Amino acid sequence: CRLNIDGLLVYFPYDYIYPEQYSYMLELKRTLDAKGHGALEMPSGTGKTVSLLSLIVAYQRAFPLEVTKLIYCSRTVPEIEKVVEELRRLIDFYEKETGERSSFLALALSSRKNLCVHPEVSSLRFGKEVDGKCHSLTASYIRAQRHSDSSVQTCRFYEEFDALGRQVPLPAGIYNLDDLKSFGRRRGWCPYYLARYSILHANVVVYSYHYLLDPKIADLVSKELAKKSVVVFDEAHNIDNVCIDSMSVNITRRTLDRTQSNIETLQNTIQRIKDTDASRLQEEYRRLVEGLKEANVARETDVYLSNPVLPDEILQEAVPGSIRSAEHFVGFLKRLLEYLKSRLRVQHVVQESPPQFLKDAFEKVCIDRKPLRFCAERLRSLLRTLEIADIADFSAVTLISNFATLVSTYSKGFTIIIEPFEDRTPSIANPILHFSCMDSSIAIKPVFERFQTVIITSGTLSPLDIYPKILDFRPVTMASFTMTLARACLCPLIVGRGNDQVAISSKFETREDIAVIRNYGNLLLEMSSVVPDGIVAFFTSYQYMENIVASWYEQGILENIQRNKLIFIETQDAAETSMALEKYQEACENGRGAILLSVARGKVSEGIDFVHHFGRAVIMFGVPYVYTQSRLLKARLEYLRDQFQIRENDFLTFDAMRHAAQCVGRVIRGKTDYGLMIFADKRYARADKRGKLPRWIQEHITDSSLNLTIDETVQLSKHFLRDMAQPFKEDQLGLSLLTLDQLQSEEMLKKIAQIAHQI
Amino acid sequence: MDDQGCPRCKTTKYRNPSLKLMVNVCGHTLCESCVEMLFIRGSGNCQECDTPLRKSNFRVQLFEDPAIDKEVEIRKKVLKIYNKNDSDFPSLREYNDYLELIEEIVYNLTNNMDLENTKQMMEQYQRENKEIIQKNKIKLTREQEELEELLAMERQENEQRRLLQIKEEKRQVLAKKKNKQALLDELESSQLPATLLLAQHKDRAAQLETELEKQWQTVKPTTFSTGIMMGQKISLQPVPKIEEVLYVYKPIHVETYGPSASRPGESRKVWIPEPCACSVPTRPGRGLHLQPCLSPRHAGCVQWTLLTVCV
Repeated sequence: CRLNIDGLLVYFPYDYIYPEQYSYMLELKRTLDAKGHGALEMPSGTGKTVSLLSLIVAYQRAFPLEVTKLIYCSRTVPEIEKVVEELRRLIDFYEKETGERSSFLALALSSRKNLCVHPEVSSLRFGKEVDGKCHSLTASYIRAQRHSDSSVQTCRFYEEFDALGRQVPLPAGIYNLDDLKSFGRRRGWCPYYLARYSILHANVVVYSYHYLLDPKIADLVSKELAKKSVVVFDEAHNIDNVCIDSMSVNITRRTLDRTQSNIETLQNTIQRIKDTDASRLQEEYRRLVEGLKEANVARETDVYLSNPVLPDEILQEAVPGSIRSAEHFVGFLKRLLEYLKSRLRVQHVVQESPPQFLKDAFEKVCIDRKPLRFCAERLRSLLRTLEIADIADFSAVTLISNFATLVSTYSKGFTIIIEPFEDRTPSIANPILHFSCMDSSIAIKPVFERFQTVIITSGTLSPLDIYPKILDFRPVTMASFTMTLARACLCPLIVGRGNDQVAISSKFETREDIAVIRNYGNLLLEMSSVVPDGIVAFFTSYQYMENIVASWYEQGILENIQRNKLIFIETQDAAETSMALEKYQEACENGRGAILLSVARGKVSEGIDFVHHFGRAVIMFGVPYVYTQSRLLKARLEYLRDQFQIRENDFLTFDAMRHAAQCVGRVIRGKTDYGLMIFADKRYARADKRGKLPRWIQEHITDSSLNLTIDETVQLSKHFLRDMAQPFKEDQLGLSLLTLDQLQSEEMLKKIAQIAHQI
Repeated sequence: MDDQGCPRCKTTKYRNPSLKLMVNVCGHTLCESCVEMLFIRGSGNCQECDTPLRKSNFRVQLFEDPAIDKEVEIRKKVLKIYNKNDSDFPSLREYNDYLELIEEIVYNLTNNMDLENTKQMMEQYQRENKEIIQKNKIKLTREQEELEELLAMERQENEQRRLLQIKEEKRQVLAKKKNKQALLDELESSQLPATLLLAQHKDRAAQLETELEKQWQTVKPTTFSTGIMMGQKISLQPVPKIEEVLYVYKPIHVETYGPSASRPGESRKVWIPEPCACSVPTRPGRGLHLQPCLSPRHAGCVQWTLLTVCV
């Protein structure tokens, strides 16, 4: 239907619309009008994606000069595909309604591994291998060699693309990864490079977070995207951790050993080239003396590693004289490596700031700050000059040089922690150097500064006001939307006591308490006899889960549970977990249901949906606090306190609650779905914890559902499940599902105005 | 690293974890006990390269590769002599050349290449630049100065934070105590019912809490509004005078062949290129064609026309 959103004509590809979708679009329109950033929370399963797409596409059509591009960032490949399908539907609808072929270009972009069509390369299993092999076929010097020597292998898809692909833009349409691949096969063009080239003039680009946030790839892929773009980060509740990970470096003894062999290879290659083709090194040397920037930056296939965010004025400067010639640079790397080795040979934990590290480096091995800054840049130039085809082997030395550049560039927001062993195994020496970013705003800052509008959205983004703080931006709109429901299909219950009145909690002091473990077991046992179909249970950590399950086994609880349902367990092994998931679903299909024991922050808690009968109840055993003894976390908490005035406890609770919300949110994936959400810890009843849950869950927590005992919980759930199991006629029409006419009624518009909860 | 060992007595770190490896100027390793034994007289020759060595020059080996120990030693010596700053050079290019020269010298000395010449060169340089070397000895390079400044700032911040925290805690404890005492006093003397007093007390406690929170959030400024750090030392040296030719304004005269630029306020005709109305002949065949407008009438027309798929 056609909607009128605040004066903007929006084509919406469905006949019916949820009221919150309308409200969401209103909010979004306001953000776009203001040309500012926004943070919006809307429960999953209420059509966030389609609302986003239809409004922004409509905006693009109405004001083609104001908004030129939509960059949609999602986390996983399946999610990317889902977005593209939704978009395809929208564009089809446009064509049907307007009756003209649209000149709309939208495409998904992913790594080479997902896009390669070269028969040999694409058969490789790991992403790194694919990248390395692709590079060894398409690097500019390899292709130059082919001119003189036809036995050199190159990639014919890339050659074709390079010869023809750039002159003719990709025909208008919607391309998911498979479409790109089949188009590439038909034309004989490399889909990966075609996609990377085409994102410059596409109307909608869908790709992963890393293409914008990771400075090593962002510079390469997203450098030339226009300012007048709208960036959407979907499922952004973990965005701060993505930012931090993309700027952090971990160096182990193994990394250093591999770096050593890398440096040896470099040295040998330099020696060989010096004997055979000295002019090449001289050419590079001359260029560096002149202080010329890489003349061939534009050669897209050559890029080995991009610069981790260096200020431009430094990049303009010439490489310092001490690392100008190749031998000196290798000597420099050797010194750096030996220095790092000596630092890793510590007996106790060391924590220091980048300036302290630099000072120590200068005193020990006479390494100045300036050449360190240029380290990544210089290595890139050297690798290119040496024409080393397989860069995958050089990842270790690349990592070290990235570290060098980062540590010398940033003096604030980072910390260096050297641990001689892991906390859990103090007798085994396993030294590791963490160079950890503590400020998530560093990585995302360029995005906020460069693009006109950045939207951060997710199903669970509570409490909303902490995100602008930790990401350091000023949103023009911040809103949380609730789910309008025709029936109360979610039932959050907070269980605080066992039948024996012992308080249940996963806090440290009562962790080993047999009474608590038994009560947890009883809860699961009772629920397994009440709930039809699937139950998902989340624990706070793998270790905790192992302890509890072992003790359930001893107490015979496990056996009793298995009389009701089969039990599956998530493990740290990805293959095992996906197997367990598959079998779990199979068991759910068979009618009797099953139980999946998994871990908050694990694979299951992020991105796997338990629709309908796959999840009728989710039980959260304990509050999923992060492991607070970790030094990295402590350093980050301290930094947050000093820089952003966020207290340790506030942040920890926020982090625990967003994960808890993420876990329990797995069961409700739409309005026809229903499920129990059981929080099994008495601490959830406290206002400071409860208040940090998303509003759409909070609304359903009444005073009568706080601090229940197990049998009260069973009573309430029985009642709820019986209610919900009644056939659900499509009577949500007019309440939570609207036709166009209903939407336009005065009364409804008034109601809708209450859905959005501005902050 | 456990396989490191003394080349003479073959003891390894694995067998003797307290093994101390020593290294001298030639970059060859010996363990501590071997050094004691061989150099009992205070001097002797290296086992491997026969360089005359002194016992007092033996140092603990810091790095796994003794060559790095040697190189760092040499580098430190060289840098003592070659200690010019980038401000001593007229341009960055020359400074970079100078840096490379240092590298060259260190490289030669470490790898025993061209020893005589290099040493001569160093001596000559030392003689020629005595004054600068003396002067720069006291001065830190600019980079190091920056680092020192950052470190000082860090220390200061930490100290301040610690003090503030202690103060804050003290104040909180005091305030709570006072509040409690006030309640007791009131219960003792007031005529109001106890429940009311307790409720009042609760309110007050909550208020206190929020107040403390607010106080906690106000941060002490460490910089002036201009961005200059508080407590930073400002050098009082006079600004160096730059003597050069003064700039003289010359009005710009641009030769144009078009109509003369109009003055503000004066209306003028704007020439807008008309869109090219020519039709581009479609080429047979499949696919997209990108063709320039070939119309003879508009000589300057460089409009490209994109044709959709033609079959």
